[in-house]
Amino acid sequence: MVKKKSSITETASAIMMEDGEPETPIQEDEAFTTLSETLKEIRKLKGVQGYILRGTTSATIDLKEPEKIVEYAILSSQALDSSREITELFNLGEPQHILIQGKELKTLSLLIGANKISIFMEKTADHTEILNRIPH
Amino acid sequence: MSNEVYAFALKNTLKEIKNVCPDVTNTFIFEENTKILAKDDETPEKTIHKTIEAFNDITERADTIGGDIETVTIQSTEGKVTITKMNDFYLTTVASKEADEKYVNTLTQVLIPIVIKLVDEIQPEENTNEESPLTETEPTAKEETPAYETAVEETQEQELEEEAAPEEIPKPEEAESNEPEKPMEPIKEQQSQETEEENGLQIPEPPVTQLIVENLGGLLVPSDTVRIDNALIAQWNDLYGDKEIEEVDIEALNGKTTRCKFKNIKDSKYQGKGIIQIPEKLQITLEATKGELVMVKPVVE
Repeated sequence: MVKKKSSITETASAIMMEDGEPETPIQEDEAFTTLSETLKEIRKLKGVQGYILRGTTSATIDLKEPEKIVEYAILSSQALDSSREITELFNLGEPQHILIQGKELKTLSLLIGANKISIFMEKTADHTEILNRIPH
Repeated sequence: MSNEVYAFALKNTLKEIKNVCPDVTNTFIFEENTKILAKDDETPEKTIHKTIEAFNDITERADTIGGDIETVTIQSTEGKVTITKMNDFYLTTVASKEADEKYVNTLTQVLIPIVIKLVDEIQPEENTNEESPLTETEPTAKEETPAYETAVEETQEQELEEEAAPEEIPKPEEAESNEPEKPMEPIKEQQSQETEEENGLQIPEPPVTQLIVENLGGLLVPSDTVRIDNALIAQWNDLYGDKEIEEVDIEALNGKTTRCKFKNIKDSKYQGKGIIQIPEKLQITLEATKGELVMVKPVVE
């Protein structure tokens, strides 16, 4: 059992999930592909635990702890929803990115067009550098 | 420590933050139990409550990142919202996109902990008298207030009552005629007097002053001497009369302290700005750098 977990972690291969709707604009697909490539590079950075990239029709997930995919996905989604609520309350326009620092980890969530990104990292990781690497 | 004392001090601090930095549009502080502890005058309670709800929705799902959330920062097209945990409170700051992030952070994330710490230091005896909150003595006066009623109002009412008639329970109408705010200074003075009475000493408790660190360099600058505003030194001299004050105790935010000599600031551009010029060696000792706040008090022996 332990071996299985470690194997998933070490391979660090992205899990692709597609919902079977092929008709997406080419531009959107390109943005998703570019972000996906960037996130693969970011994943290699020190302290980065993984990421979730959600487009309109597909998602890419690469996490150090794949057994916690659901928890990470819920947090990611909630972060984006709550940030939208809060920015609306204070008339601050559209949220661009959200940084949540927990006791052990932090998560950086971004809204780039129709794509939603959440990157999970150790507290010591440089989120500013990560932010700068993402084209937005 | 009663939350009313915190609320009073923090409300004034939030007000000052907004005065100093107009780009900060909204500020408020809430407790972990979602009660609003202090807020500025502009932010409606409804908005605050909704913000807290949205924040709690995140905290409830934050087990994957270690549970306790320390900071949430939301950058949007028109501004930025920051929710930061400080002790048992959460400070929320809303700033426009024009706001200088470093300046706002220095103001909020440095001043608030200092105020909390000062309140802790100034009124430690409050801990023992915590079981006399105003809310319990005045249930009828708050019939229409919601469950998340602010502690600020409670504090103000308490302050008003104390001013109106310290030994009686005043009527609300009487309280309204008094000034709504009380400056911070009397708290210090009161504490000083209490200390005198308790210890039977004639020397007042040394006043603690917050100053901003500025570099002090040069070939002939002694490494064990800081430079302080002449007006502050004059205040100390007035307070202690003929007692000679030769040294000061400096405490940084991280708790590091040092005792050193002091002189008045020579450079006129630093005078009257709440600045303390500290040589590099002492900055290293304190682990404090330019722009940070330190607490300074005179050594009277």
